[in-house]
Order: sequence, then structure tokens, then C-alpha cells
Amino acid sequence: MTTTSRQRRVFSRRASTNPSRRSIIALAALALGLAVAAPAVADSTVIRLGYPGVGIDNRPFGYGDNVSVAHIGHFIEDEFKNDPDVKVEWTFFRGAGPAVNEAIANGQLDFGAGEGDLPSIVARSKGLKTKIILAADTRDPIYLAVKPDSGIAGIDDLKGRKIAQFRGTNLQIATDRVLEAHGLTERDIKFINLDTGNTLAALASGDIDGAFGGPEYLDLDRRGIVKVVYSTKSDDPAFGRQAALLVTEDFESRHPDLTARVVKAVVRSAQWSTDESNREAVFQGWTKSGIPVETFRADFAGVKLTDRLSPIIDDFFIARYRAQAERAKAYKLLRDDVDVDSWFEPKYLNQALADLKLEDYWPRYDATGKKVATGTVEQTQAATQ
Amino acid sequence: MSLTHPIPLPQAGEGTLPSRRTTRVPSAAKRERDRVRVRELTGSMPSLRRLQSVAVSLAFPAVLLLLWELSARYGWLPEQILPDPRLVIQTIQEFVASGELLDDTRISLARVAQGFLFGGLAGLLLGIAMGLWPRFQAYVDPLFLAVSQVPTLGWMPLLILLVGIDEELKVTIIAWAAFVPVTLNTYRGIRGVPARYREVGQVLTFGPWSALTKIVLPAAVPTIFVGIREGLANSWQTLVAAELFASSEGLGYLMAWGRQLFQLDLVITAMIVVGAIGLLLNGGLGAIERRLQRWQVAS
Repeated sequence: MTTTSRQRRVFSRRASTNPSRRSIIALAALALGLAVAAPAVADSTVIRLGYPGVGIDNRPFGYGDNVSVAHIGHFIEDEFKNDPDVKVEWTFFRGAGPAVNEAIANGQLDFGAGEGDLPSIVARSKGLKTKIILAADTRDPIYLAVKPDSGIAGIDDLKGRKIAQFRGTNLQIATDRVLEAHGLTERDIKFINLDTGNTLAALASGDIDGAFGGPEYLDLDRRGIVKVVYSTKSDDPAFGRQAALLVTEDFESRHPDLTARVVKAVVRSAQWSTDESNREAVFQGWTKSGIPVETFRADFAGVKLTDRLSPIIDDFFIARYRAQAERAKAYKLLRDDVDVDSWFEPKYLNQALADLKLEDYWPRYDATGKKVATGTVEQTQAATQ
Repeated sequence: MSLTHPIPLPQAGEGTLPSRRTTRVPSAAKRERDRVRVRELTGSMPSLRRLQSVAVSLAFPAVLLLLWELSARYGWLPEQILPDPRLVIQTIQEFVASGELLDDTRISLARVAQGFLFGGLAGLLLGIAMGLWPRFQAYVDPLFLAVSQVPTLGWMPLLILLVGIDEELKVTIIAWAAFVPVTLNTYRGIRGVPARYREVGQVLTFGPWSALTKIVLPAAVPTIFVGIREGLANSWQTLVAAELFASSEGLGYLMAWGRQLFQLDLVITAMIVVGAIGLLLNGGLGAIERRLQRWQVAS
């Protein structure tokens, strides 16, 4: 009895988090000469959002960006609550950005909700038609967690060591940049491709010397299982990762109105989540992913919420994408050129800012990271804890 | 193939050679041998039938290629998912030129060689032991059968805990993939040796070692070889799955890399190499098998 129900659970989880299986089936179908029809056009009233990641044990919740706040707080669903014929559908991909790319290519998604810079750049180089309509996550630091007895005290000790990395995600390019700044390349290190869940297991069992990743490791550090010996937070913030809200050109051209309302809903959520008085509430929301609240407190320690969660597409954000695209090419992570500038479509964001009277709410930065305009959100104060 | 056979074939146009030999061989045995030779020879001649069979075996891949080309041209599937065949060819050229494809292939082959050697040897030993000693077989068989029902990759979670995620894991999984079919077929082969063969050994007062090497093993070779062939095929197939997980080199890794970086042309390149090598391995073993079994046809 328990076995069958467990099996069923496993299967249904697979079906929801592993759409790549569907793409394999699609390939097989073609091989048999059966698939001649173009991918079916989706029901126009379903807004399909794909989030590049899952929580601990595949929990369908994200963290660390403003899109996950919008999801947890039902901001997009609330925007459409008076439109019974519009349905909002979220899918969480354990395979992260690369899996979201596959689903978009398959015509199974309308929005890449918080997709990282590298995977979306890679997809654009392959001709996937999307627009960046909102910044989901900026200056997201990466961490190096190592086995306590590994003798690794920093990036310079990594030469020849066995380190896990989630390939093809925005972690990879951020890692490569950090290595380059320390005079190393990917070739100097024995990188093992593992997704976040398997990395945590491999770190705990001591199979790898260390791993590059996000805040997931901070909890293991606190429990003494690993030691976090490096973070881009204490290095150059330009080493951090970016993520964005992307819409497919197809959906945008068919439903500019729905696209505008999705952006508006996320802007509303960002207004709430960058307000320092909500700091603890934002972190508590993210614990739905299974990651303890202490992790987010540590991840955001010394950082203003708006530095990470501002939805603004400013010159700094665009410059990051330009730099990542150049570097991805230099590191041979992609082979074709990418036109970054024509990729951004800020008109929905600007419309939402005007509608919600939030034009001056968030600060803006120039390409080098210097603040060029202050925002009223910076005056918000953290509630006393 | 040189035409030193005793029967003058019309195509060969060569009839002088055989006469010297025929005088030496007793006529009944000779006729039998000639028959075999003729069969062997005509079998490898590029006859019309052979051409036909090649054409038939190429027809399906050709249709697939055509469908692929049409799909690329008319965009039946997004180019990001099924890239243009020309892009795949270009990728193959690039990766051959850079030496990466060769490196990864070599690493994969080395892993399979290692795993197959361990798994195959262990399988041979266990199979022989089970075949020779029914008592031992009775003890081992139920457990072996139960354990062999678990697919190779099903052992992965347990193996990761036991041997970690390094080379040992890959080699163990590959070895296991070879071990099961080799054991089963070796056992079956030895059990299947007719009792009268063994009796011959007893009549000739062979010791156990001579009986094993001179009678039992040669008689069991065809079945054992089925196991070896199946084992190697299994090893090769499992390699890719083993390398997809937690590796940093090899053909499976190339596939994983291609997928992570949305380069499906790279995935297909690796698939083509894996398929071609699998075909070569199978063909090579088939040739060895036919050589080893020659005595059987001639007897």
C-alpha cells in the first residue's frame, strides 16, 4: 500500500518537475516520423510561468528573488482574481535555467520567472525568442563551501581540487569570473556537474572537496558540516549573479495586456519585498522552500533588500548581461554571438511604475555600479527584531 | 580472403591448386570440409544478396535522416531542440579537430574496458563455479537471481554511499552491468554441456582441470560468448548513464554538458559516437565469436 502511494508521488513529482522527459519523448516521436504537427498552441487564458529551481526535497517554492516573493504572496494570482478565465500556472524546475530553456523552446511556458543570466543568454544565442521585461534578482552572491578538513581557505587553494558546480546555470559564469579574478580557469579545477540537491548530499557525505553555490550552503556551515570560505559579497559585487523575468515574444505579441499586468503584479510584490520593514516577513516567506530563515538573514546581512530585489532595469543591470554574454563567449560556454541590447523591453515596467506611482521608489545605478539616483525605498527602516 | 580452398569456384577462375591437397585428405572428411569452406567463402562474397541486405539495413537510417532534414527545413521541431543536421556535422568536425571528442571517447572506452574486465572476469568465475558445483549453485542462485532483478542504475543510490561518486562508482556500475549476463550465460553454458562429453573425459581419465579446459569450457563457449557479448553491450550502454551523473569527462559528460548549455548538436554528436562505438564493439565481438566457434562447425 505505502509503496504504491509512494510510487505515485514520485511519478507525479517527476511529471511536474522534469519536463525535459517530455522533450525526449518529443524527439523519439519525431524519430518515428509521427510528429509532424507544430507544438500545440496553448489555451490563451493560461499564463504559464516557469521558475528555475526547487526548494529542499523538490518543494515547489523559490527564494532569493522578487519573483519568488510574488509567487509566495500570490501577487499575480490576485491581479487576475476578477478574471475567472485567466489562470496562472507555476512550474518549478529542478533542472533550473537549462530546464526552463527546454520548456520555453517546447512552447510549454510563457514566462521564465527569475531565469538566471547565463542560461537565458545561452538560449538567446540559440535563437530562443524572449524579452527581458523586469529585473528579478541583482548582485546575488555566490559562495564557496568546502569540507572543513579540506585545507581550502579560499579561491587560491582550489587548484586540482574536486568541486561541484551546477553547470549551465548562472552559477557557472559567476564562478568562472571569480576564478579568472584569481588567475584560475575551469581547467585548473576538477569540476563535477551536480544539481543543488545532489551537491548538498555530496558535501554532507564528503565526496567532494567543495562546491560553488548560493545561500543553500549557509545552513550546512552553521551546522558545522561545511565551511563557507569565500563569498562574492566580500569581493567585487559585480561578480554576483543576475536573474530576470522573461516573456516569450510569442506570448508578448498575443497578450501585451496580460504581460503588462503580470509585470505590474511583480512590481507590486517588489514594492513590498524591498521595504525594509518587511525584511523578516520576506525571509519567512522564503522558508517555504525548506531553507531555514537564518540562511536568508545571513545571505542578506549587510545588504539592502532593494540592492537584490529591485525590479529596475537600469544601466548596471544591462551592463551585467552584456559582460556575462562576452565572458560566456570567452569561456566557450556559447559559440554564437548574442545581441543583448535589443533583448530588453522595459516598457511594461515603466508603465507599471507610472501606474503605481513608483518612479522614484527604487534607486538607479550606472553601468559601473555607481548610484545615479536615490530611491524613497532606501528610507524604509527594518522593524525592530 | 585468399583463394586457397580446394573447390574451384566459377568466379575464382583458379583450378590448379586443390589437387595436391585432395590426395592427402580422406574423402568423406574432405567433402565435409569443402562444404564448410564454400559456405564460408560465398558468405563473405559481395553478392547481390549481400548488397541487398546492406541496402535494407541502410534504408531506415536514410529515412530518419530525411525526416530530420525535413524537420530542420520546415521547423517541425524548434531548432533549439532538434538542430539542423549540418550544424551537427559542423560540431562533429569542430570537436574532432580540437581533440575533445577523441579525449572523451578514450576516457569512456577506458572506463568500459576496466569495468567490463572486472565484471566479466567475476561473472566468468561465478558462472563456472555455479556450473561445476550444483551445491554451490543451490546456495548462490536464489540470491543472485533476486539481486540481478534490480536494474544496474537502481544500485546507484546505494553505491554512492558505499564507494562515493568517483571513478569507482562508474567502474562498479559498468562492471555490474557486465557481471550479470556473463554469470548467467556462463552458468547456463556449463550446465548445458552434454553428459556424454564429460563421460568422454572420464574414459580418457582426464583430471578435473583437463576436463574443464579441454571439454567443458570449449563446449560451453557459444553460450558463454552470448553472455560476454550481452555484457559488453550492457556495459557500454550503462557507461553513458553513469557518466551523465557527477562526472567531468567522457561521452556521457559531453552529453550532460551539451544539455546544460543548450547545445543539442553536441548531445547528438555524443549520441552518434556512442552508437557507432556500440555497433563496432558488437561487430568485433561477433567476428571473434565466429572464429572461436569454427571448430564446432567443422566437427
